Amino acid sequence: MATATAAPVDERIKNLGVTRQLLARPEIGALLGAVVVFAFFAVQSSVFRSGAGVANWLDPASTLGIMAIPVALLMIGGEFDLSAGVMVGTVGLTIGLLTGQYGMNTWGALVIALALALALGFFNGYLVVRTKLPSFIITLGTFLMLQGLNLGVTKAVTDTVQADAIDTAPAYRPAYDIFASTVSVGGVEFRVTILWWIALTALATWVLLRTRFGNWIFSVGGNVQAARSVGVPAARTKVVLFMTTAAGAWLVGTMSALRLTSIQANTGIGEELIYIVAAVIGGCLLTGGFGSAVGASLGALIFGMVQQGIVYLGWDSDWFKFFLGAMLLLAVFTNQFVRRLAEESRR
Amino acid sequence: MDDAATVSTPTPAVEQAAPLLRLSAVVKTFPGVRALDGVDLDVAAGEVHCLLGQNGAGKSTLIKVLAGVHRPDAGDIVWDGQPVTFPSPQASMRAGIATIYQELDLVDDLTVAENVFLGHEPRTAGFVHRGPGARRTREILAQLGHPEIPPGRLVGKLPAAAKQVVSMGRALSRRARLLVMDEPSAVLAHDEVANLFRVIRGLTAGGIAVVYISHRLEEIREIGDRVTVLKDGRTSAANLPAATTSTRELVGYMTGRSIEYVFPPRPPAPPVPQRPTEPTVSQGSVAAPVAPLLEVSGLGRSGEFADVSLTVHSGEIVGIAGLVGSGRSELLETVYGARRAHSGSVRLDGRVLRPGSVRAAVRAGIGMAPEERKSQALLLGEPVYRNVTLATFGRLARAGFTDAARERAEAARVTGELRLVPADVRRPVRTLSGGNQQKVVLARWLLRGGCAGTRLLLLDEPTRGVDVGARAELYGVIRRLADDGVGVLLVSSEVPEVLGLADRVLVMREGRVIHEAAASDLDEHAVLDLVMAGSLLSGAQAEGDLS
Repeated sequence: MATATAAPVDERIKNLGVTRQLLARPEIGALLGAVVVFAFFAVQSSVFRSGAGVANWLDPASTLGIMAIPVALLMIGGEFDLSAGVMVGTVGLTIGLLTGQYGMNTWGALVIALALALALGFFNGYLVVRTKLPSFIITLGTFLMLQGLNLGVTKAVTDTVQADAIDTAPAYRPAYDIFASTVSVGGVEFRVTILWWIALTALATWVLLRTRFGNWIFSVGGNVQAARSVGVPAARTKVVLFMTTAAGAWLVGTMSALRLTSIQANTGIGEELIYIVAAVIGGCLLTGGFGSAVGASLGALIFGMVQQGIVYLGWDSDWFKFFLGAMLLLAVFTNQFVRRLAEESRR
Repeated sequence: MDDAATVSTPTPAVEQAAPLLRLSAVVKTFPGVRALDGVDLDVAAGEVHCLLGQNGAGKSTLIKVLAGVHRPDAGDIVWDGQPVTFPSPQASMRAGIATIYQELDLVDDLTVAENVFLGHEPRTAGFVHRGPGARRTREILAQLGHPEIPPGRLVGKLPAAAKQVVSMGRALSRRARLLVMDEPSAVLAHDEVANLFRVIRGLTAGGIAVVYISHRLEEIREIGDRVTVLKDGRTSAANLPAATTSTRELVGYMTGRSIEYVFPPRPPAPPVPQRPTEPTVSQGSVAAPVAPLLEVSGLGRSGEFADVSLTVHSGEIVGIAGLVGSGRSELLETVYGARRAHSGSVRLDGRVLRPGSVRAAVRAGIGMAPEERKSQALLLGEPVYRNVTLATFGRLARAGFTDAARERAEAARVTGELRLVPADVRRPVRTLSGGNQQKVVLARWLLRGGCAGTRLLLLDEPTRGVDVGARAELYGVIRRLADDGVGVLLVSSEVPEVLGLADRVLVMREGRVIHEAAASDLDEHAVLDLVMAGSLLSGAQAEGDLS
């Protein structure tokens, strides 16, 4: 019983050891996972650990990571966006139709697509904060609507299920250079998307940890009542987060449209869950209020390594999703275990 | 109504300075309840003004009115000489009132500094300056006498006492002029209370007013300047000097509540052992010694309650009185198997129940009506009969299918016995009043066949949210159940309820049973004294500090 505990004075206020502080970070599990996965494949495949191999698995990791970051921010803020994947397709198709079909200047098409994406993000966010319905439901609705819209409009305009000839539009080349080209480092061609990814990870981390908007994200996800009562604009914060996710979808949609020069009407479907998987592997809690951008990026990195790694090992890539699922479970168990460890070590 | 002791001591010489806050005749009604029925309160700058009152007296509603959570239906609030309304929590905060609730409004995954400045971050062009924020936070924490709290630590990692300091720091950072603290000592250990008082004295020396709510009289004596007592939603005494008003007088203002509860008569010769210090001793009222129905011995859960022994006999109502946090609800849930005891045992009819198993308890014949009946006991959207038959599916099903007609008939029978209104078992439970919802919970346990099925009922705050008229009826129901041979173990924050309904009363404080007596040998004064007086210890919630 608790009576008469001569309080072992505030052990929790003392300086914590570095290890313990590290253990309590959300991304620690993902970091360990990334190291383990890298070691696993690197040992078995020399291609995997070669420069070209690294460039090869960083490529899918980067586009996934660019989406996983805003999705993670949104999850920290306590919401989901199931329409994020298909929105990538919407953006790509918009650009494809405007340039390939109507010959619009590439920059003009990008701006219009951005405006569209932001409007969609606003729509999602506005509905969520106004109706107070779970964002899972709202964005499931927009997910299905966009899926239908993507196919319907593409077919109506092109009579096929894709938009192509994107590279025939004016100003394609400079846009390609910025969003989709490769950069040579030490004789190895790295996709420029990797730079975007790293920059955005840094930006998002800085926003989360160093700006008041970052505080607001944690507070609306962690304790929205408390946030409101101290005057945090909770609704605005959430709407901005949805719009950020949409902006991420624009960026990734742009990258794939310019790179592939043609976009399928079903692009992005199913990807939304992968983004969430990456964020969760990276330590985000489904309940909000906890997570990190670095973690989400590490989750994406693991994803990219596994995707390419099993190809290098000559495994049947049909099994990819199986490994992904198993890894998700493993990662969340590890996260939970590590977190409990961190909690208990302070007793 | 007014014949009861509704004393209002006219405020004498304390009038010199205009008060910082003045409430007059504030009324707040909720459906079925008049939570505030004319509250007056004067708070001067630089004083600690204590609010005292029993559960249900209106303290919580009052502080929510001050915090802008509830808007009063009538009455005036004058703040700093100006009549004001607080339409929202932000409005109240902007005016300079900071409320520190028991469950603190902090974000666990932000740092101390971030929490202190959440919503008004020091910044330029949208960028937080970590340095100045941390520096200001350090200054504020030092001002509060707690410079050892690191501004960069996540709040979720701090002990309760430090979190409270952070909450106060937030109030300071917003230049609050009035701090409302709702039972701040409830989450603190002994020496931390002394710390808190030092902090409060520092604040009041700087002209900040504090409204301090506590059930612990010695705290009020130590820290308080003046005391206002609430009873039944009214101010029954205002501006008593905290240091010199006697306990007897204070308790007097709190008791003798004007609402008359009608309690059913007790059976003439209750089969009650008076003081079962050795749990097995039981002297039957007539001839043969009756073995107890429920026998709890040495039950304990670290951080919640310790070494609790008690008995309940068939046909007996045993009441447990105590404050929230005294471990009473936890005790009840442990008996029910919803929590696993760390020590001791629970026997029903002499057979030991498997610890930590609700299923074992229910099969042995224990039923429970939990405190939060809406979230813990009822399927609100489902019709009455489904809720009633919930614990009985097995018997009513035929070949694996539930038989709706029979379910309804059975449910109609038991709810009829309890006089459920309206008597339609197909109505969703949501549409019933609080009292009738409670009857549905009771009916569930009755359906298992009265004596043969449910032998012991555990009732946690059975009349919470039940309006006055329906209470008497519920009391009647509980007594009738006992008369039919069911044993009842009852927990309530309302002392008159425990005294009026129970045959025997146990008083719990800080996780221990400190007194046991026949209800007829106790009165409200005596129980309130036991519950509130005594040491400052508050183990109940400080479990985080235990290993």
